[in-house]
Amino acid sequence: MKFLALIKKEFYRFFHDPRLIVTMLLPGIVIFLLYSVLGEEFNREEEARQYRVYLVGDSAAAEAIADAAKENGDGVEWLYTDDASAAREEVRDGKASALLVFSENFDASPAGHVDIVYDASDETSTAFYSLAAAVLNIYGMRFTVTAESVTGAEALGMQVLCNILPLLIVVFVFSACMSVTLESVAGEKERGTLATVLVTSAKRSHIALGKIFPLACISMLGALSSFLGTALSMPKFMGLSLNMLGTYGFWNYFLILLLIMSVVPLIVSLIAVVSAYSKSVKEASAYTGMLMILSLVLTLVAVFVPALGNWTVAIPVLNAVVAMQGLLAGALPVWQSLVSVGVNLALTAVFVFVMTMMLSDERIMFGK
Amino acid sequence: MQEHEEIVRAENLKKTFTLSKKQQKIERTGERRRVAVDGLTFSAYRGEIYGLLGPNGAGKTTTLRMLSTLIRPDAGDAFLCGHSIVKEPQRVRDVIGFMTSDLKLEGFFTPDYLFDFFGAMHGVEKAALAARKRELFSRFGIDQFAGVQVKNLSTGMLQKVSLVISIVHDPEIVIFDEPTNGLDVITAKTVTDFLEELRRMGKSIILSTHIFSLVEKLCDRVGILLNGKLAAEGALETVAQGDLERTFFALYEGKGGTL
Ligand SMILES: Nc1ncnc2c1ncn2[C@@H]1O[C@H](COP(=O)(O)OP(=O)(O)O)[C@@H](O)[C@H]1O
Ligand SMILES: [Mg+2]
Repeated sequence: MKFLALIKKEFYRFFHDPRLIVTMLLPGIVIFLLYSVLGEEFNREEEARQYRVYLVGDSAAAEAIADAAKENGDGVEWLYTDDASAAREEVRDGKASALLVFSENFDASPAGHVDIVYDASDETSTAFYSLAAAVLNIYGMRFTVTAESVTGAEALGMQVLCNILPLLIVVFVFSACMSVTLESVAGEKERGTLATVLVTSAKRSHIALGKIFPLACISMLGALSSFLGTALSMPKFMGLSLNMLGTYGFWNYFLILLLIMSVVPLIVSLIAVVSAYSKSVKEASAYTGMLMILSLVLTLVAVFVPALGNWTVAIPVLNAVVAMQGLLAGALPVWQSLVSVGVNLALTAVFVFVMTMMLSDERIMFGK
Repeated sequence: MQEHEEIVRAENLKKTFTLSKKQQKIERTGERRRVAVDGLTFSAYRGEIYGLLGPNGAGKTTTLRMLSTLIRPDAGDAFLCGHSIVKEPQRVRDVIGFMTSDLKLEGFFTPDYLFDFFGAMHGVEKAALAARKRELFSRFGIDQFAGVQVKNLSTGMLQKVSLVISIVHDPEIVIFDEPTNGLDVITAKTVTDFLEELRRMGKSIILSTHIFSLVEKLCDRVGILLNGKLAAEGALETVAQGDLERTFFALYEGKGGTL
């Protein structure tokens, strides 16, 4: 009953404060609108594009690309050839949009390979490249994709976005957790309202969990809003129709959700511990800022260093980022994801325990 | 009810703090350790008001915090309604109400919500809680303000709400650190009336103060606290010897204090 009252209070406070609700849900909405508008702007065409694309080899994937283009109101003209170097010349001269080289027996072989040659300095060519890369990325992962821009500069492709999305998620998760936890734990300590709860006979472990559990649930809302905003607007941003999203499997989404759900309580409990230690919200935000930078560094490592080893599952936050990258690329690293979730939840339990100890420590709670 | 039933017994309570560097600087002292309370022994009785009288830094707050189980004594023990503050802090918390200006109520919530919340935190049963709320809110005139967010209440009303919430669980003992400190005269009167009312209800009260008149007005027994030690203790008339203030300063100078 005491535990329930503690949890109810946190929820009551959140759901009766429109300002807090807006803080939680707004980021997702803003991201969605921003990316959608940007995507609309980037992909707006006075006239429909007509891509001229050379094909070496063939695959059903080409058809999928053509379908995706058609949904955007564009058309693809396939030019079958065996002379890759002549086709490459045409791409460089702007006579063709791109060249796709499928490895032999592409659709049947278990480890096919496709190479995209395009021109990053040409608008139409780049548009085709991002479309093709996005479709290929979602189409299946049993093959590798390499892309080459004939004039050097690389275009921002779906691949990069798949890498960056987990980083964005970490930022959103962190800021969602921060906005409620700092206020609720460090704020209450600073204002002396936590002490009022400590004079009651409620168990210290209940007080700790009575903070962390509801705050994690609330932060989850913020994290999910941001995630949905990003995920729903990304295809549009890339010039794809929304239903391309449906090509990720149910389990990919499920595991991504599970990973996010394991990172949220971890970060909430970490910030709660830091907040309980700090004397003021200001002090707690300073520490939390450092922690955020630390997790961003971890995430950046994952973005820029390809194929990190299995050891990453032991590193909180990083484990979720690496697993999400795999999931977004179409793979299904089930064990990696589950172990990561387990590690994060175990660490959360440790932090809850630490916070309980801190609530019982008079030097931390009532020291001068 | 038994006359003169001992309800609080403190036995040789001691508390030493380790001073932080920052604190050493503020207080311009090189010492690392500060003995705040140095072997306190006293008793308080049911239905009476016990006052700890002492200057700033005498150790009053520290003593009351030990009695309320917020901090643990280094040595000694105290028994409140027979429960040890060292061995059964949780039981102690259920029989006491602690009031101090350091304990705040969240401004976002209403008195109504907070009363129910703290009632639940003390494990008060729902029906009993509702009855108690009706009774206390009407007795202290909180009724019309029950639905107003605490941050929008006047100082006086806020004080009343804090008082009422600290006794939500009908504690036998009320511990009150500096009851009238920083309050305007009207609010201070509310508080002293409240304490007298509690005594009429048969509750036992331990308060700390540095104000002579407050002790003379309210207390049945008094302990004079100087440098963490009791310099005198007993029934008000016995300790005061006709003039509490004069007795206090005689003791103060006797202990080497300078004015
Ligand atoms: N948490 C603490 N850490 C260090 N020193 C403290 C702490 N609390 C109190 N003190 C010191 O103990 C002494 C007694 O303080 P206190 O009990 O607050 O006195 P009073 O309430 O009578 O003014 C003072 O010298 C004070 O500086
Ligand atoms: Mg004091």
